[in-house]
Amino acid sequence: METLTLAAPGGELSLWALFWQAGWVVKLVMIGLLAASIWTWAIIIDKALGYARARRALDRFEETFWSGQSLEELYRTLADRKTSGMGAIFVSAMREWKKSFEKGARSPIQLQTRIDKAMDLALTREMERLESRLGFLASIGSSAPFIGLFGTVVGIMTSFQAIAGSKSTNLAVVAPGIAEALLATAMGLLAAIPAVIAYNKLSSDAAKLGNRMEGFADEFSAILSRQIDEKVLHKAA
Amino acid sequence: MKTGLTVSTVAHAALLGFGLVALSAPQALEVADVEAFPVDIVPIETMTQIQHGDKKAPVAERAAPTPTVRPEPVPLAKNVGDNDTDLKTAANAEASKREVQTAVLPKPEPVPTPAKPADVPVEKPKSDPAPVPATEVTPEPQPRQEVTPDPAPETAVSESPDTEAVKLPEQAPSPQSRPQPPQAQTAKAPQRRDAEKPAEQQAARPQNQERSFDADQIAALLNQEKTRGGGALRSNDQAALGGERTTTGQKLTQSEMDALRGQIQRCWNVPAGALDAENLKVSVQFKLDRSGGLESNPEIVAGGNGNSVERAAAESARRAILQCAPYNLPSDKYEAWADVIVHFDPSDMF
Repeated sequence: METLTLAAPGGELSLWALFWQAGWVVKLVMIGLLAASIWTWAIIIDKALGYARARRALDRFEETFWSGQSLEELYRTLADRKTSGMGAIFVSAMREWKKSFEKGARSPIQLQTRIDKAMDLALTREMERLESRLGFLASIGSSAPFIGLFGTVVGIMTSFQAIAGSKSTNLAVVAPGIAEALLATAMGLLAAIPAVIAYNKLSSDAAKLGNRMEGFADEFSAILSRQIDEKVLHKAA
Repeated sequence: MKTGLTVSTVAHAALLGFGLVALSAPQALEVADVEAFPVDIVPIETMTQIQHGDKKAPVAERAAPTPTVRPEPVPLAKNVGDNDTDLKTAANAEASKREVQTAVLPKPEPVPTPAKPADVPVEKPKSDPAPVPATEVTPEPQPRQEVTPDPAPETAVSESPDTEAVKLPEQAPSPQSRPQPPQAQTAKAPQRRDAEKPAEQQAARPQNQERSFDADQIAALLNQEKTRGGGALRSNDQAALGGERTTTGQKLTQSEMDALRGQIQRCWNVPAGALDAENLKVSVQFKLDRSGGLESNPEIVAGGNGNSVERAAAESARRAILQCAPYNLPSDKYEAWADVIVHFDPSDMF
């Protein structure tokens, strides 16, 4: 006589239990992914705040710049301050301009080239600052799922070995091991998805800011070039 | 960067804490409360392969018939029972109500050989008093027969072991006990003997008969009635659940059935009209003897009683069985193929 009884599985399935039951490789993977997630979000918050601040700074600077204020005056207010964005580009260009005229440079073409170089340098430095750490987001976005998958594969491997040892294929025996292994993939995706989205958003924001600064640099270069021509003509006359 | 890191860490910690509380354990899958009920799996063998046993006894590990009363074994016995000779009738078969027509050996010669063994010396003379008058003997011995329980001292002819045989009637027929019957018929025998044969012959005769003639065996052969008795195989075991006799439950294997099918199919000439009739099916039953030959005329048990086409198909099926007659089947499974029903389905042929 066969008596069949259906019983609910009694395995512990809370998050903490799932983590604690896992093997050390899976634990390591989970801890790494958690750290990556924390760092990703730190970068995202930092960048989002930083870009907003930079945008505001650009707006304010452009407002001041086009307000009709004299460039000499503006330079004097900005020179002794720590500047960023367009301010930094402006300061670097004005510094080069001042140096050249204070020392009585005679070649206007050389002066123009020097000023452009200085502005390019400042622009590159600014862009570098804006885009720093975005690479980390990109690599987390692409590699975290794989890391999580690795943890899952290892977890399922060990859990299958355990099942083979217990000689039972009851779902109550099989399920906790697989659930704990799948937690690693879940964490990988949890870290990767915000990283990918944020990377796309932040890199496009950075590109926009960069374009704005580049445009300002070109404009300022044109203004300075006009000034140089005027000065040369004035001198010649 | 510091603010970002702090905010991120705090948010992660909060999320994990929330997860530990909210997702602590998923709700166990709701399984309907099914009451377990016992399921007995009854193997078909209990129906098809019945062992000889007691119908009311509990199931035992090993099948055993009801214990027999007399445990002395009889060599080479095959059927369970209390008999001295192995008979095929069941051990506890009811004696027929009507008068038992046991074949009685004709006794033309006055030889004193007994129809029954020596174990019933008292009844024997009573049971057949008829032969006594048949012999031309004086009626005077008859009163003596009633005193047969102790005729031994009277007989001078019998040897001393004979007297023992009278006292122990259970003893199986043996050369020593043989001479006893003449003793039982002391009244008639000596008189007849005296008239016809010398005493030496009388002594020699039972000895010869002992080898060639066993009344029990002949009785067993002639016995056409179901009587009490059964076989001679002794059984001491506790009775187990079983039927009246052992049916082996042998079945033909698939290949053996295919062989039979093929054999019949070769001889089957399907009538042309039957090709169209899709559900023209005929079942023919026939009995086979042990050699595989037909024991009875094949009988159409299903189909073949509609229009002329159906009748023709049925006849063709019957002819096929008659034509292929000696069928080649394993003789040890005769029980399985003694009675065969073949279903002829023309739609399967084409």
